[in-house]
Amino acid sequence: MNEHGYWKAANMNHRGPLKIPSSKGMEHDVISNLPGHIMDKILSKLPIREAVRTSILSRKWRYKWITLPELVFDNHCTLVSSQDQIVIKNKLVSIIDHVLLLHIGPIHRFKLSHRDLLAVSDIDRWVLYLSRSMFKELILEIWKGQRYKLPSSLYSMQHLVHLELFNCFLNPPSTFSGFRCLKSLDLQHITMDQEGFENMIASCPQLERLTLMNFDGFSLLKVNAPKLQFFDTGGIFEDVLFLNTEKLAIASIGLYVNVVSDGYPINGSYTSNLARFCSSLPHVERLEVQNYFLKYLAIGNISGRIPSLCPDLCYLSIRINFIDSDENLAALNLLRSCPNLQELELLARPEDQGDITAVAIFFEEANQWDGRLTFLRHIKVSGISSAAQELDFINFLLSVTPSLERMTVKPASLDRGWELVKELLRFRRASVQAEVVFLDP
Amino acid sequence: MSEADMAVINPENMKSYIWLKTSDDSIQQVEQEIAMFCPMICQEVITKGMGSSKTYPIALPQRVTPAMLSLILDYCRFHQAPGRSNKERKYFDEKFIRMGTKRLCELTSAADSLQLKPLVDLTSRALARMIEGKTPEEIRDIFHLPDDLTEEEKLEPLKNITDDPRIRLLNRLYARKRKELKQKDKQTNVGTGEERVDDRSVDELLSFINGGNQGVKASKSKKKNKRKKDHQKIGSLNGVTKGIPNGVHSLCSDAASGKQSLLCGLTNNDRSNLPSSSIGLSSICTDIDILAPKTEFDDGDIDDGIDPEMKEKIDREVADFARRLNSDWPERMQEILCLDPDRRVMPVAADGNGIMRK
Repeated sequence: MNEHGYWKAANMNHRGPLKIPSSKGMEHDVISNLPGHIMDKILSKLPIREAVRTSILSRKWRYKWITLPELVFDNHCTLVSSQDQIVIKNKLVSIIDHVLLLHIGPIHRFKLSHRDLLAVSDIDRWVLYLSRSMFKELILEIWKGQRYKLPSSLYSMQHLVHLELFNCFLNPPSTFSGFRCLKSLDLQHITMDQEGFENMIASCPQLERLTLMNFDGFSLLKVNAPKLQFFDTGGIFEDVLFLNTEKLAIASIGLYVNVVSDGYPINGSYTSNLARFCSSLPHVERLEVQNYFLKYLAIGNISGRIPSLCPDLCYLSIRINFIDSDENLAALNLLRSCPNLQELELLARPEDQGDITAVAIFFEEANQWDGRLTFLRHIKVSGISSAAQELDFINFLLSVTPSLERMTVKPASLDRGWELVKELLRFRRASVQAEVVFLDP
Repeated sequence: MSEADMAVINPENMKSYIWLKTSDDSIQQVEQEIAMFCPMICQEVITKGMGSSKTYPIALPQRVTPAMLSLILDYCRFHQAPGRSNKERKYFDEKFIRMGTKRLCELTSAADSLQLKPLVDLTSRALARMIEGKTPEEIRDIFHLPDDLTEEEKLEPLKNITDDPRIRLLNRLYARKRKELKQKDKQTNVGTGEERVDDRSVDELLSFINGGNQGVKASKSKKKNKRKKDHQKIGSLNGVTKGIPNGVHSLCSDAASGKQSLLCGLTNNDRSNLPSSSIGLSSICTDIDILAPKTEFDDGDIDDGIDPEMKEKIDREVADFARRLNSDWPERMQEILCLDPDRRVMPVAADGNGIMRK
């Protein structure tokens, strides 16, 4: 008995060093026993390459990564020093295939944005695979080559909440019934036909954010989105039409061509674009009028008539050609329709052409207006060249802003800086506490 | 006087304190505005009216130990106070997460059970940072993970979905490798019947990996040639199996981790008997480099009825395939370590220059 016990102890002693490290390790191994959703959270903060690599750590880690709800394949997911497009492509395709094959559980977000990936048909397969699950966010960015034509399976993703496409060709099938849950749509460098575009916007009833940049295939921006709050666009279009956009709070619109000089047909209707625009965005809070969009707004502008009010507008940024009296008038009318404006930015767009004889009209208009921009506190003017029209506009602004706190003026060059400063000093200010700051270009 | 009476007498007390019970049944009083920062506690107070007295404390989830609760309350105390700048908050957070990994994991878990999302984000980001850019061995060290995957499992091919004849060949070679491993394992068990302790020092092992030949020399030079051949065979098989162009394998590729996993394979006492101890999944892709010089087979090694001409063709294909895979990595050779049947260590005579020997 005794002997037996001794033997046992000795044996245990002998085995001791073998066993202890592993059991001690297990005791300290807290991370492996964290709940799955926390593990997903930790792993989703790693590049996918590193997350997958954890499968060789230990038995418990073998399949931890495969429930990752977010899969991001970007430039960090491969370590490729090769310049060969085919090598890079094959490798990336094989990685994505395998990750998707091994993955289980829901995928909420899939992002593909690799700078070397062209529009290859392999993407079709992934989109199809994703379309079969309760998939929420898709981001496809094709940085090189031709536009990628999205497969029809994309249009059956009924659970999509966020869709972001770069350099893609969209051609929704006739059976497309819209994305019922889509809240945010970001389309850049895309091609789509007029009908397809109108349909897509109109059939996303939950749409809150819409970004549309550098598109072709359609020229009428018909935006019918009752829940839209954010709209950012920049591109070439003939007309923009808002329907049911009462909720729109932030809008930024840039028209990349000069409507008149490029021979675009002027809207046939007699109503002014500005009036129509203001009436369709009754609750806009922040508005940016970029590139040539003011030119568009000036079309059909009838002097003397104040467009409907935008009482919530507190921030306005306008890109303007001060020499062009039509634009000056449009800007003036726009200002008149936002009585509660707090911040204004005027960015000069230098151009030679402009109807100088019409300056008188602006004065007349401006003098007739007995309103005040009571809440305007900050004004930024930049890129001006000290032309008479620019100074007139500044003079006008200083005279109608009783609460102005600060106006910064930044000329395009210092050529006539002195004269500009002298003029600025002379202008009367409606606000006693206003400071006018001259900034070097 | 009961707690309720106290509350009536001193209404501020009732308003500003909340009673919490941690997993060890201890009850403590916490300022309400701080405790309410945790959505779970907030919910209990609002929907169930709990926590207003010592007799009705809010029972916190199992994962919230007193130590964790005090940490979490420190976090809440700082962040619920108004008027802190983003810079201050960031600085606090950075200092706050400076703790051991075990504690950090427990804190993540506790914060999660209290639904304190910003803290869960903070700690899980910190944990992710500890993993990022590390070799498997380093990660195991940091988190005290057991290295309990067999080398065979680390080698296990993941699914092969492409129908490429070359890949089929690679897989066939791999299957043979597995069989060999199994046999060797059996032999080991039958032969000794007891576990062997590997008592080689890490330095010794390192010298093999880094220094190559000046380590332990094979004592029986007679056997050397034969052994060399054997190793080459194993090496070639290893190399080939590792060449499987598998997405996950490529994901695992990390030039730095290759060497580390060689080390980890060796320092692991239990597994060092296996001839493939030098291979980890992570090293798979780095080891593809090895493939090129090792694709020659001895006819004696493989007797699967492939005629020499055919074999040569396959060899060429495999080599070509390997070259294409290799083009992703800078030219770099790695020595493979194997154990001979006498379980003595000797470096494999890899040429170490990556030049094809054809």
